[in-house]
Amino acid sequence: MATHVERSFGALRAIRDVSLSVAAGERRAIIGPNGAGKTTFFNTICGDHPPTGGSIHLFGEDITSLKPHRRARMGIGRTYQSSLLFTGLTVLENLYLAVRGAMPNRLSLWKASRGDAALSKARLLAQQVRVDNILEARIDAISHGQRRQVEVGMALAANPRLLMLDEPAAGLSAGERPELVKLIRDLPRDLTLILIEHDMDVALPHSDIVTVMKDGEIVVENTPDRIVDDPVVQAIYLGGALA
Amino acid sequence: MAVMSPRQWALTAVVLAIMLALPLVLPAFWLSGILGRSLVYGIVALSLTFLASYGGFISLAQTMIAGVAGYTVAILAPTAIPASSSALSYWLAMPAALVAATVAGGVIGLIAVRTRDIYLLMITLALAVGFSLFAQSNIDWFNGYEGIRNILGPDIFGYPFRTHLVFYYVSLTVAALLYLLVLYVVRTPFGLTLQGIRDNPRRVSALGFDVALHRVAAFALAGFIAGCGGVLITFYNIGITPSSIGMTATVNVLVMSVIGGLGHPIGAFIGAVIFSLMDTFAATVYDRNRFNTLIGLVFLVIVLVSPDGVLGFGKRLLFWRKPKAREEQTGTH
Repeated sequence: MATHVERSFGALRAIRDVSLSVAAGERRAIIGPNGAGKTTFFNTICGDHPPTGGSIHLFGEDITSLKPHRRARMGIGRTYQSSLLFTGLTVLENLYLAVRGAMPNRLSLWKASRGDAALSKARLLAQQVRVDNILEARIDAISHGQRRQVEVGMALAANPRLLMLDEPAAGLSAGERPELVKLIRDLPRDLTLILIEHDMDVALPHSDIVTVMKDGEIVVENTPDRIVDDPVVQAIYLGGALA
Repeated sequence: MAVMSPRQWALTAVVLAIMLALPLVLPAFWLSGILGRSLVYGIVALSLTFLASYGGFISLAQTMIAGVAGYTVAILAPTAIPASSSALSYWLAMPAALVAATVAGGVIGLIAVRTRDIYLLMITLALAVGFSLFAQSNIDWFNGYEGIRNILGPDIFGYPFRTHLVFYYVSLTVAALLYLLVLYVVRTPFGLTLQGIRDNPRRVSALGFDVALHRVAAFALAGFIAGCGGVLITFYNIGITPSSIGMTATVNVLVMSVIGGLGHPIGAFIGAVIFSLMDTFAATVYDRNRFNTLIGLVFLVIVLVSPDGVLGFGKRLLFWRKPKAREEQTGTH
């Protein structure tokens, strides 16, 4: 739950008094034009850009001042607008690292054995996000769509309670998109999901509530079937003056 | 999740076997003056290459850390001049030196947590030069400009360390073990995380890893490696002076790493061998006093022609001749 969250970069107020409450197990889409502050809002929740005002609670605990890795350990998994993968490592190594991040003894100097639990889980994740056929390929050698799938797999590695997907379909070809949509549809239903997406065909079918942001503020919240008819939303997306 | 292909492991084994057999054919000068020297300086370069290749940090403090280990063993050693009443056995002084180097590495790591790129380069250079000047001005512990001499090293199985064969084999053993240690560590969860931090620290943090802690640990490990080199260099030079850890020595280690190639740990030793050969034989082909000009030109050519060093040049040559070799590289780094 975010309460009166603010985030400024110098004189620029990227997020203004944003309050958002997402129930456990809820699926929330955040939409809005470029520069609306959606990703900045994500970053304040994850700790990449801590809020300059307001507070953030995760499942009842105040995480406002926690560092990103502490927040991740509390159950936040996320993907990024642009793929932020480890390009020098293989698909399996990326997923393995993601699994290790949720385990104790992160500084371990013991190499993973063949039957290592984290390695086995990384392979299972690869199956789940359908990249098990390219396990030994380096990230810089796979397609953009496959990278997005690896991103989702990494975000799921720690069994997060809250999954935040930042434009997962961005840059995907028409052929790659159905694979990702299926992947999102198959996510466990008890997982709380917040999704930033420009593509309404991806965002609306997978959300219980849609939040619309503009100029760093929340302007509308409604169910998917009502949001498309909302005059404010239509004004934002089709042009025209806001009421 | 392999760091080297079976072919590369086989090549490593062959090179090691050849190096073990070299004393049968090479004269003593080559064993200690070229190869032994390359190995001990290559160890310090290895610590730099480890940080650069797997952590993304270029640290110019590695020679300084080697100096911390060298001075520690020199101060504590039984043959130190000025003589100390609290002198320890070499077998106690050497572990103490490695602990000191590891701690020094960790302290540099604490600084590296807050700086990167050119700023880290400048801060580590300043620390290196500062330590050298401090050693030069301190008489009580460091014996000032003269440094500490007569550090002969321990006897190994009853043989003096300064014996060519003993020095060569000890250096080869330590270098090989540290090289294998680096290859092992980069495959562990810690090593993979370090490479993740090199590629994207923000992502690593979002996965639950403490990025700062991993950086400090990486510098501490690099400090341990540089410390091993520092102790051996002190024995090789029969002592340590401020100039041996000064600006020139610092840059020399960087030049070795870059010439060899920062892409793989073996590059450190390749660079050290090339450097030693040029340093030794520059006088015969040109003028000893022009060594810096010569090595500077070689450095310039390498950076321009093959930014990933001789190692990268060799790889490209291999790929050019055998396109399939590139495919073998997939998944290895």
